[in-house]
Amino acid sequence: MESRSLVVVGAGIAGTAAAIEAARAGVQVTLFDENPIPESMAALNAPQFFGQRFNAVLHDRALMLERVVHANEGLAEAEEAGVDVQLGTCVWGAFRNSDTSRVLDGPQLGLANRDRSWLIMYDRLIVAAGARDLGLAFAGWNLAGAMGANGAHALMRHYQALASRRMVVLGTGNLGLNTARMALDRGIEVAAIVDVSDSVRGDRALSAALQDMGVRLYTSHTVREAVGRDGEIESVRLVEIDDNSEPVAGTEKEISADTVCLAIGLVPNVELLSLLGCDVGFKPELGGYVPVHDDCMRTSVRDVHVAGDAAGFHDGMVLNTEIARSQGRLAGVAAAESLGAFDTAEATARRRELTGTAINSKPTDAYANWTRWLRALRNAGGSDVPVCPCEEVTREDLIGLRPPRFLKWESERRDGRSLGTLAPDARVNPDQVKRLTRAGMGHCQGRLCREQVALLLAEASGSDIADMPLMSYRPPVRPLPLRVLWSHDESEQVRREWAKWFSPTSPVLE
Amino acid sequence: MDRADIVVIGAGVSGLSSAYFLARAGRDVVVVDKGIVGGEASGRNGGMVSERVDEPLLIPMAVEATEMWATLDEELGHPTEFVQEGRLQVAVTEKDMGDLLAERDVALGHGIDVQLVEPTEIRDLIPGITERTLGGLFFPNGGHANTQLTVQAYAWALQDLGGRLYQNTTVTGLRIVDDRVTSVETTAGDIAADVVVGAAGPQTGLMAQLAGVHVPVAPARVEIMATAHVEPRFPIALVGNGLYGHQAVRGNLIFGGGAHEWIDVDLTTSPGKPNTPLIRNIARRLAELLPGAADAPVVRSWAGVVEQAPDYRPIIDILDYPSNYVVVTASAHGFGISPATGKVVSDLVLFGETNIDISGLGLNRFADYGPDWREKRGWTPAPLRY
Ligand SMILES: Cc1cc2nc3c(=O)[nH]c(=O)nc-3n(C[C@H](O)[C@H](O)[C@H](O)COP(=O)(O)OP(=O)(O)OC[C@H]3O[C@@H](n4cnc5c(N)ncnc54)[C@H](O)[C@@H]3O)c2cc1C
Repeated sequence: MESRSLVVVGAGIAGTAAAIEAARAGVQVTLFDENPIPESMAALNAPQFFGQRFNAVLHDRALMLERVVHANEGLAEAEEAGVDVQLGTCVWGAFRNSDTSRVLDGPQLGLANRDRSWLIMYDRLIVAAGARDLGLAFAGWNLAGAMGANGAHALMRHYQALASRRMVVLGTGNLGLNTARMALDRGIEVAAIVDVSDSVRGDRALSAALQDMGVRLYTSHTVREAVGRDGEIESVRLVEIDDNSEPVAGTEKEISADTVCLAIGLVPNVELLSLLGCDVGFKPELGGYVPVHDDCMRTSVRDVHVAGDAAGFHDGMVLNTEIARSQGRLAGVAAAESLGAFDTAEATARRRELTGTAINSKPTDAYANWTRWLRALRNAGGSDVPVCPCEEVTREDLIGLRPPRFLKWESERRDGRSLGTLAPDARVNPDQVKRLTRAGMGHCQGRLCREQVALLLAEASGSDIADMPLMSYRPPVRPLPLRVLWSHDESEQVRREWAKWFSPTSPVLE
Repeated sequence: MDRADIVVIGAGVSGLSSAYFLARAGRDVVVVDKGIVGGEASGRNGGMVSERVDEPLLIPMAVEATEMWATLDEELGHPTEFVQEGRLQVAVTEKDMGDLLAERDVALGHGIDVQLVEPTEIRDLIPGITERTLGGLFFPNGGHANTQLTVQAYAWALQDLGGRLYQNTTVTGLRIVDDRVTSVETTAGDIAADVVVGAAGPQTGLMAQLAGVHVPVAPARVEIMATAHVEPRFPIALVGNGLYGHQAVRGNLIFGGGAHEWIDVDLTTSPGKPNTPLIRNIARRLAELLPGAADAPVVRSWAGVVEQAPDYRPIIDILDYPSNYVVVTASAHGFGISPATGKVVSDLVLFGETNIDISGLGLNRFADYGPDWREKRGWTPAPLRY
């Protein structure tokens, strides 16, 4: 199996900076990024929440590759520094030996492009996998046109393929404001920016500039529903909310739009770190479960570093890209040092240069904001709204622990059961609820519903969100077709010695 | 001190089914588990239900179980998503075909209704299946169910009868006076009991050890995966090309197979259950078996830890010492046979015997097995490398 000295996952700001830093120190670096992603995956809202708002140009791989390269100034610099840049390649798995799994020759990554998958080994790994959009449900968010800010950002900046004419943005943090500005710059009309809070949460100057450009800001408002025809969003119904997040009668307004962009928060992509067994801790101000790391961006697992949004995201990072960049460089320095490319003195000197760029804005509790949104959306939209659009599980189904509706199960005994009767028996476990209700089991691999499921479960069971265990991540962390995951490199021995289920006739057992 | 007529250790299918049937007979039952209901193999297995003709000694229990499954949802009052449209075993090699014909003879010898199926019929039964099958064996009584819904159904049905379920409660000791277990020591305090049922899955051996009894059971980690929902659907459970699995009612293909890994577990914690790159080999075999589904995206894989006795058969027995301790462990066949397991255990506890033939499943068959049996067998974990 091929082995690389340093693998960096993610060619965003942090990953590119990490790769450059280590390559300049003389390390052999391979930088993987999944963009441009295959259209089939994009259609599943994975890994990005595109909400079917990409245009047909996504078909054109060559053009997409060109645009992705063009959009990332750092890539040319990385290649110049000798980094082996591999685009269109996703990292879908990370494997290492542990107490109960000892078959590997060393830590490995699972990679795939559009056509096939393969494995490589690494000496050092930097995970700079970014963050994904927080999903919060409202009626109609399963229609085409509901998408995430990160998804919109990628479609605008990397792909130039956002198929949207008129957008409503949810969230007045920097994430929302910045999305609105980008959309306006690309000739997309921004019909409204909405927030449940009573004042704009993000940068004052930016919000003033947007208002000067004619964008309406609706604070103390929420979405009642998105309305559409033929599976496409056509308008959005907003309603004002009071101090208790309850809708105020007679304040509904309908805004025509083909896109609703959720820009309420981002969640660090910790899947690969979680597969590797890195310690994660709940930090609501950094977007939930984030890897524990030291000043050099080392995680709790040997040879594994983290950088950028994957290490924790807060709204201040939207307008200040230096945080991610310096984290990337710190990780690159640490990896280079541990590989012997920097001696301690050099590494210390490099680090000293970088520690000046500390976080300048104090992160606030993102979860408090998300909880407020969740309540307002629920109060305005009711409980018959799909929390998990892939599996069509509503808020009511989730809290009632209802068996999937397609089973059409009716019984009085069953109806007596709900989260309320499960909770006293044991700590509420999102994986258990997932397997009972199917929320989070769909093709988006739980990307759209994990956080709101956890929030709803915490609220309904009266538990603290911080005590809610992380719903588990499993490989492949991208939805890969069987023909891609397919082991084309399977050895004769594996083929021959394939075991059937345990039985006396099983060939390999004796 | 807390007390119950019967304390069942382990809220997997074996323990919960036993507890349910005991509660239905009017006994006061407590089930204790260190984790949640179905947190281990019982909630993460392949969901296959079949008459196990590859294991003749299991046939009586398996046949009883398939009959019980037919009405299990009504019995429990909670859905298991059980589908009984049969189980098809297909041959893709000459050797498979030979095994299949041999199994047919065993089945017919035991009065089990099976049919040989031609490749053309196979393609009608399973849309998208490979053209390269040589033939199949169809078991009309086989089927599949949703694993977590099933364990939860047992658990809720038990509670509906007044049974108690202590989750996140770990058994740390067994108190023995004379030749009986008088109480079970747990992290939530001691529970006195007349009878104790040890249904601790991979921890079965360690649990019995607390009473000084040697029960040879080795834990192994196995892997399985699921795709997103795909069309067209087939309701039949399917075995072939080295895989077993089914299409869930929702449409996901759920298939597992391939090498298992012997591991060690400890008494009080939940073993890690990572996947390995083996999932690529499973994906390949599945796409070979069902070329029509080759574009189906795999959305997750998972692993579980199974329990395994030296001869691959369950151990179900009331011990001579301690005389009120029941060992029940399934040797990785436990999900499908679970209704029968509960019935057998409750019969044994209530009457000391059962009319289901369980000969050959007693502990005494391992009288000669010393503590070093795993080493002798080569069933020990590999050394841990980085
Ligand atoms: C991937 C996979 C696929 C499978 N496919 C099938 C299939 O298709 N059909 C089939 O019939 N079988 C299948 N099996 C096997 C089947 O799942 C098991 O045989 C069955 O679940 C065993 O049930 P159990 O209740 O005996 O044990 P378990 O489910 O392991 O339950 C034992 C319980 O005991 C608890 N426990 C252990 N120690 C303690 C302690 N100290 N204190 C308190 N509690 C404790 C554990 O937490 C656990 O919940 C499969 C298994 C796996 C992993």
